[in-house]
Amino acid sequence: MLAKVKSKWAYFAVAALLIFLILIPFDWFLGQYKGLAIFIGLSTMVTVGLCLLIGYTGQVSLGQAAFYGLGAYFSAVLSKTHDVNPWLAMLIAAVATGGFAYIIGYPIFRLRGNYLAMATLGLGLIMWVLFRQLSQFTGGPDGMAGIPYLSIGSFVFDTSFKRYFLVWFFCLAILLISQNIVRSRTGRALRAVHGSESAAESIGINVDQFKVKVFVLSAVYASLAGSLFVHHLRFVSPQPFDFLASVKLVVMAVIGGLASIWGAIFGAGTTRILSDELLLRFGEWDIAIYGLILMLVMIFTPEGLFVKLKDVFTQWQLRHSQRETET
Amino acid sequence: MSEVILETRSLSKVFGGQVALDKVELSAKAGKISAIIGPNGAGKTTLFNLITGVYPVSEGEIYFRGTLLKNIPAYKRAELGIVRTFQHVHLFGNMNVLENVMTGQHPRSRYGFLEAALRLPKAHREEEAISLRAMKYLNLVGLGMHAEQDALSLPLGQQKLLAIARALATEPQLLLLDEPGAGLNTLEKQELSDLIRRIRDTGVTVLLVEHDMPLVMGLAEWVTVLDSGQKIAEGTASQIQRDQRVISAYLGEEVE
Amino acid sequence: MSADQFVQYFISGLTQGSIYALVGLGFTIIYAVTRIINFAQGEFVMLGGMLSFTLASSAGLPLAPALLLSVLISAAIGAIMYLLAIRTARRASVVSLIILTIGAAIFIRGIAGELWGVDFVRPPFFTGSSSISFLGAYIHPQALWIIGTTIVVTVLLHLFLSYTMVGKALKACAISPRAASLVGIDARAMALIAFAIAAALGAIGGVVMAPLTLTAYNVGVMLGLKGFVAASIGGFKSPILAVVGGILLGIVESMAVGVDWGPFTSAYKDAIALVVLLLILLLRSGRLAAEERES
Repeated sequence: MLAKVKSKWAYFAVAALLIFLILIPFDWFLGQYKGLAIFIGLSTMVTVGLCLLIGYTGQVSLGQAAFYGLGAYFSAVLSKTHDVNPWLAMLIAAVATGGFAYIIGYPIFRLRGNYLAMATLGLGLIMWVLFRQLSQFTGGPDGMAGIPYLSIGSFVFDTSFKRYFLVWFFCLAILLISQNIVRSRTGRALRAVHGSESAAESIGINVDQFKVKVFVLSAVYASLAGSLFVHHLRFVSPQPFDFLASVKLVVMAVIGGLASIWGAIFGAGTTRILSDELLLRFGEWDIAIYGLILMLVMIFTPEGLFVKLKDVFTQWQLRHSQRETET
Repeated sequence: MSEVILETRSLSKVFGGQVALDKVELSAKAGKISAIIGPNGAGKTTLFNLITGVYPVSEGEIYFRGTLLKNIPAYKRAELGIVRTFQHVHLFGNMNVLENVMTGQHPRSRYGFLEAALRLPKAHREEEAISLRAMKYLNLVGLGMHAEQDALSLPLGQQKLLAIARALATEPQLLLLDEPGAGLNTLEKQELSDLIRRIRDTGVTVLLVEHDMPLVMGLAEWVTVLDSGQKIAEGTASQIQRDQRVISAYLGEEVE
Repeated sequence: MSADQFVQYFISGLTQGSIYALVGLGFTIIYAVTRIINFAQGEFVMLGGMLSFTLASSAGLPLAPALLLSVLISAAIGAIMYLLAIRTARRASVVSLIILTIGAAIFIRGIAGELWGVDFVRPPFFTGSSSISFLGAYIHPQALWIIGTTIVVTVLLHLFLSYTMVGKALKACAISPRAASLVGIDARAMALIAFAIAAALGAIGGVVMAPLTLTAYNVGVMLGLKGFVAASIGGFKSPILAVVGGILLGIVESMAVGVDWGPFTSAYKDAIALVVLLLILLLRSGRLAAEERES
């Protein structure tokens, strides 16, 4: 009975969300925020991967912005400097970034514990240094401009309005794919790994391989987002891929819910909006506030803020429907 | 004359300076129920861990259906047909009862990331099959009506049954049960014995580690006794019960 | 590289490596006693330096009390962090603890950025700044302070762990938390002490280092990473290996820059720590995984 009630609300929520999303870029609705909405979409794409990683493998990536940056720079360099078709460049970037994640992921995941966290932290820092230093490729600290738009045939994504739909198309596709994966045999294997690694291993699940797969998947998602990012701004610089960016992504994942897929939208959305507000009102204090959020959420609702809110809502709704049947 | 499905030769395991198993020679006949008993610290669980590949072997060999198990990682052994349950159950708390068993079908199903991500028909068909088979195993252990419940909401006795159902879902040839009777009451132990016999009757070889003497003696067709990492006796249940060395080991007295 | 240069780079590496050693010690102590990796470890180095600047330069306190106070305040902050954040998150999963300590690190960094601004600060040198000539190279007296302090602290720590009641209790927790609690050792008190000691170690590093290398609100991250590498070399169990590891890392870093081979400009110096980390992981991964299982 509970399952049926839940899915009625879930369908309603998803439908409402879709309608809301479709209407946002129109000027008579929330059109002035479509730029922000594009960034929320991009952040969501990266956050979903991070949520899957943390939620199912129990490992944290503190350098996820590095993969975001890799996707961005690969796309930028390939499509601008080497005139590669932007779509092809995006694909190459995703494969390269994923491959890179595989190479570093495999030795690290064979260990238990906190090594991945530190290794990704170091990776993020190094990537940032490389983005700045390899100026003959990346344009150095000042970045690179003149990156072409994405286009399909003669239809060019040259306005924010058009790019909004492109980004959210990708974002929703990724969310759906992730959900399909979680509900499948692979998803069960992932949840098994999260539930009990020794039991998962005993029934034939290659625990290490699954952890690496999720890591690679999260890198690919981030890379795709990075590519879309540069074709939106037509500009790339190292600044958005620093340590703080990686921290903000963890904040988004944590607010959204660590094994939650749709929660990623909530996490990315609230964090982005919050960070703009915070910057306005508190200036430099925003860093301290991110730290505080991370601590508070982990102490009080370690499964994630959105997931907690969902639970509270489900409880209320259960009591509400019980009362209805009683009368 | 049934074949030997599992055999260990001179099997030893050393942890640091500590000898956990000392040249243990064990064999289990296919399709029979065998048991390993011994006082605490005898090395029984270590033996399981070596057979399932959780720990590497220090010395000696393990043969499964005549093939040497060497450098085969733990997760591959389920595919080969060796599966175990744990003393502390280790259910997947983030799934319901049926899903736990469905996960057991992992080594027997094939569809992967891509088919799942795109919801291809192959994935759908396999999911249907997995679901049906899982239900079958759930019914075998008598938990069919609890399929949709949270796995951890079951009482301990039923959790242990669920773990067995999950192990059975891997369609094993050798089932290793690590203290399946621990924490169960008399009635539950009786049902467990019946279940284990039913499992044996489907052709699965059962090897169990147990402390409960009546349970073991009533079930096992062959018993091996370990003490301080060494095999001190083996035989049928009635032979073991009368063996002086076994009695002394449990009572802690010296053999005369 | 000439012999003179070699010595110069070696000393520079030894100096820098001493700081990594102290950070690595902090990581090791907390992990050994509590099985937690404290991502905020690097921030205590930063705090030590910043506080000594405020107390010695701005507030004009005499040097010795200023330094002592800086370390004590940092130790207190470490203790508070444990009490408020870690202890409150009862039985948190490994991943929650990682995020929690990262959060603490970011929080401390953010507050520091607010209180001290983003610029580098320099507390006063301990004994002046006239370089001493040694084997064809020049050593700054502060560098001698750094190396000397690290040696002294390491020895004192070893004595503390081996010969005092509290130290032995800490070691007991590291060997077996369960056995320790059976003989009446309070695990939470030990954890508190471990955090305070680790914070103090970091702060001592910061206090001796800041006059020479300057310090700013954001130095914690990189130092934490390098200290982590040092601790990894010790397997997070052995304080001595952590110290050796830290010093080795410092020397390798310094030499790589000095050798001036190919792309190794100083900007890439930090990448070396990561490469070393990945190498350690590759080499140890098989052995460590088996060890983890068997415990």
